[in-house]
Amino acid sequence: MEWYHWMALATLLFCKTLFVIRLIEIIKRGAPNDLSKPSGSVAKGVRYSYTKAMLPQNKESAYLHPPTFGAGLIFHGGILISILAFIWFILTAIFGWATPEIIPPLCCLCLLGSSFCGVAILCKRVFKRALRALSCADDYLSTAIVTLFQLATAGYFYHSDPLPYYAIASLFFLWLPIGKTRHLLYFFAARYQLGFFYGRRGTWPQ
Amino acid sequence: MITQEQKEKALAILADRADPKLQTHLNSCVRCGLCADSCIYYKAYGEAQYIPAAKVNMITSLYRRYHTTEGKLLPGLVGTRKLNEETAQKMVDLFFGSCTLCGRCAKHCSIGVDIPFLVGKGREMLAAMEIIPKSLQATADMAIQTGNNMGIPVDEFRDTIQWMEEELQEELGDAEAQIPLDETNKQILYTLNPREPKFFPLSIAAMAKIFHAAKESWTISSNYYDVTNYGFFCGNNAQASVMARNLYEETYRLQAKRLVLGECGHGTRAIRWEGPNWLKTTYDFDALSALELIGEYIRQGRIHLDKSLNQKVCTLHDPCNLVRNGGLLKEMRFVVRSAVTHFTEMTPCGTDNFCCGGGGGNLAMSEYNERRLKIGKIKADQIRQTGVKVVITPCHNCVDQLTQLNHTYKLGVEIKTVAEIVADALIINKE
Amino acid sequence: MALLEIEGVSFEVDGDGFLTNPSLWNDEVATLFAKADGIEALTPNHWAVIRMIRTHFDENGNAPMVRALCKETGLKLKEIYELFPLGPARGACRVAGLPKPDGCV
Repeated sequence: MEWYHWMALATLLFCKTLFVIRLIEIIKRGAPNDLSKPSGSVAKGVRYSYTKAMLPQNKESAYLHPPTFGAGLIFHGGILISILAFIWFILTAIFGWATPEIIPPLCCLCLLGSSFCGVAILCKRVFKRALRALSCADDYLSTAIVTLFQLATAGYFYHSDPLPYYAIASLFFLWLPIGKTRHLLYFFAARYQLGFFYGRRGTWPQ
Repeated sequence: MITQEQKEKALAILADRADPKLQTHLNSCVRCGLCADSCIYYKAYGEAQYIPAAKVNMITSLYRRYHTTEGKLLPGLVGTRKLNEETAQKMVDLFFGSCTLCGRCAKHCSIGVDIPFLVGKGREMLAAMEIIPKSLQATADMAIQTGNNMGIPVDEFRDTIQWMEEELQEELGDAEAQIPLDETNKQILYTLNPREPKFFPLSIAAMAKIFHAAKESWTISSNYYDVTNYGFFCGNNAQASVMARNLYEETYRLQAKRLVLGECGHGTRAIRWEGPNWLKTTYDFDALSALELIGEYIRQGRIHLDKSLNQKVCTLHDPCNLVRNGGLLKEMRFVVRSAVTHFTEMTPCGTDNFCCGGGGGNLAMSEYNERRLKIGKIKADQIRQTGVKVVITPCHNCVDQLTQLNHTYKLGVEIKTVAEIVADALIINKE
Repeated sequence: MALLEIEGVSFEVDGDGFLTNPSLWNDEVATLFAKADGIEALTPNHWAVIRMIRTHFDENGNAPMVRALCKETGLKLKEIYELFPLGPARGACRVAGLPKPDGCV
């Protein structure tokens, strides 16, 4: 374990702490105390909100924009791989485990693909007039940092210099709870709320 | 200029950490911009300011600036905005003039951000600063002062009801047919949109005909019959509560078992869904829409309809507050299909419907008339594509917007309420 | 506030096309507003409705109930809707130079 491992772990702890505090806040606030008489089922609405409502055929944001939707999915897949890889790298640093041979090429391929999607999403924001008008620094920064993290992860599978990798990973964990990347947590809360609203009123499931 | 006091009152609304929804939705939007094509304003204008996410950003940038650590430390990085006169004016334009609260964007949002909830919070902020479009506030104030949003005097209201009773008796050839006023201990207290007694009373007669056919025990209050709730549109929860309380207490005063809400989208939503939360009480009477009641009559065989009496091809316009935000998609179709011979749907329809353009109080705001007609063209084109002769909608607000669209875009259709189309198909005297 | 131009004459109107200053109203204004709504010529029945609305407005400061309109002009409700396809509020009241009535109209 080198100092940069500890640095990255410290940022991970920072990130985790902020998210846990927010999660506790969300749980404490609980479900809306709605006094109106329900005409549908909240449970069914919430279940629908997390499942079928998310299918591309049920959301204009997906079916009207297949390339962006696809790129977004792959990009988010890349984030998951990168975070899992980070944990794996730390574990190998502690326990001296070896990475199975199949993993690096496989992950690299995925991460290059997802990074490409990240760049494409960033380009769309830069070049599409309406989207650019809507954007603030956070929008560019978040996509850039996350894309960079994925690229760095891909490189680190092939033993690139550890310092830049852990520096980028640290930046990623620092930014995650600060930027709009915080939707990592709020996404689930928002979908619950929407499912609650439509479920109670009998709009979902449809 | 807005004062420090106005600013503090407005910003306090965003500071509420106990509200189960607020903090979640203030922190969820990623400005992917994919909601743009779900919004009639963006579809009509193609301008970035109309993207629903831009409306969300208007409120979340204030939240970040004043209520988050990162917004205070890194305002340039996380997208923040100061609340000043310019911002306030932009908020009025976005939250009142560029959103009908239809909620189509929320349903299609890639995250699930309750965008109309946030726009509603934006309206609350403006109400706290007392910067509400004049014509909208005037309508709410009139309802508070007189009990109905058009300021109709009680004697003139009674006179109109009596007139409709005579029309009903003449149509049915039955001198016993009644529109009972202020009677106690009836099953149903029925409510109206003031535009009915003031300008379009035939829908009152139509509903009375249905009640007559169903042999219902019902009444209308001559003091509090107004189903609309402009306090809700204004983001003024205090006024909205007064209006909801008027109907709530009148139901008790007249000892009615059920409060039936006339064909009004936002009014039904305000009383049925929001009212209990404003009044902080559950209702121990049923509050339901006229549409649901008619559906019940048909199912129970209390009224009988002859579809062949409505031969013209019909379509249905889904009021956002009754369908997407009220869950009445199937019920509405059941009732209308029971009453007409030829029925066809618009594309899209149901929970994916486009707003008529008059929602969220827009119909009442002269300030945004031009925009309202331009966004309404989407609905006009939809109607034209169906090739129908009659458009049915259970919301007087939609009726008026559709009437204007019909005229402006020369659609050549009739616009009817559900009660009117059902009344036309009624078989009276069937044993 | 907006300017509405009909046949070369300009009027100051609100966003809904209702006259900003009702006292500037006269018969010519009524004729022009009606034309803009697609009513080519105002018949005596149109005028009866317009005059009644105008008188009511001058005396009470608001639009009359459609009940009063029928009673005083002797016209049937259906006839009033036919005379003014946009209805008593957006149609007749506008032609009669009233401000837009508040509410769902």
